[in-house]
Amino acid sequence: MPGGDFHPWFFVIVAAWVLVCGLGVVLFKKVMYSAVSMVFCFLGVAFAYALLNAPLVAIIQILVYVGAISIVIIFAIMLTEVQTGGLELFFNRQTLAAAVAALAGAAVLAVVAVSADIGPVGDKSLTPGLKVLSRLIFDRYVFPFELVSLVLVAAMIGAIVLAHREEERP
Amino acid sequence: MNPLDWWLLLAILLFSIGAFGVLARRNVIVVVMSLEVMLNAVNIALVAIANFRGGARGAGTLFALFVIVLAAAEVTVGLAIVIANYRNRRTVQTDTYDKLKG
Repeated sequence: MPGGDFHPWFFVIVAAWVLVCGLGVVLFKKVMYSAVSMVFCFLGVAFAYALLNAPLVAIIQILVYVGAISIVIIFAIMLTEVQTGGLELFFNRQTLAAAVAALAGAAVLAVVAVSADIGPVGDKSLTPGLKVLSRLIFDRYVFPFELVSLVLVAAMIGAIVLAHREEERP
Repeated sequence: MNPLDWWLLLAILLFSIGAFGVLARRNVIVVVMSLEVMLNAVNIALVAIANFRGGARGAGTLFALFVIVLAAAEVTVGLAIVIANYRNRRTVQTDTYDKLKG
């Protein structure tokens, strides 16, 4: 089996799951339904990582996406829920152009990806194990790692500053 | 087509779905969610290529981890902007954000 174990049926199940849930994010009329669909889409992506022999990425995906990011988004939905009157126009006026652009982009990318000579696919999985990954993070890529933590702190402070409500002083 | 091509096709389709959502939806929170779907699609492609082709000693898998962390930072700041804007304008519809229009 090339690239470790490629199970066609598992791939078909995961692909259908991810694509259907992704379509749900885009097409559901109610925002909360979109959010739930997004959570399931992220879960399917985690299974995709597991199929690709990357269990660490799958676990981080569940922790960060299915856990943290979904909660933040659902909080934002609950804070901004208006629902006054009809939401009859939930697509904007450029929907047709957007659909054409997305389909054309997908076609071009697919043709390029399939026709490009990416090279032979090896017989075994090349995803590094946990030991190799941790050595990479803390040895070779330690500077980007620290930089990412700096970005996270900056983003947290920025989010607090942006969303903080000024108190009226008596 | 080898397995890598199938994974890349999945990533491309998911990316296009997310791109359509970003371009076409009116609710800005759904736009942010579609953006996250696009980032996930890119991550699938990264992890798939790292699995099937290797190269750079596992940097592809590591890059996917960095993308996940940066997506978390992005979504915090983005939603903070959405909430601050909602507090001022009482709306989350993208086509009402036209204060800067001449």
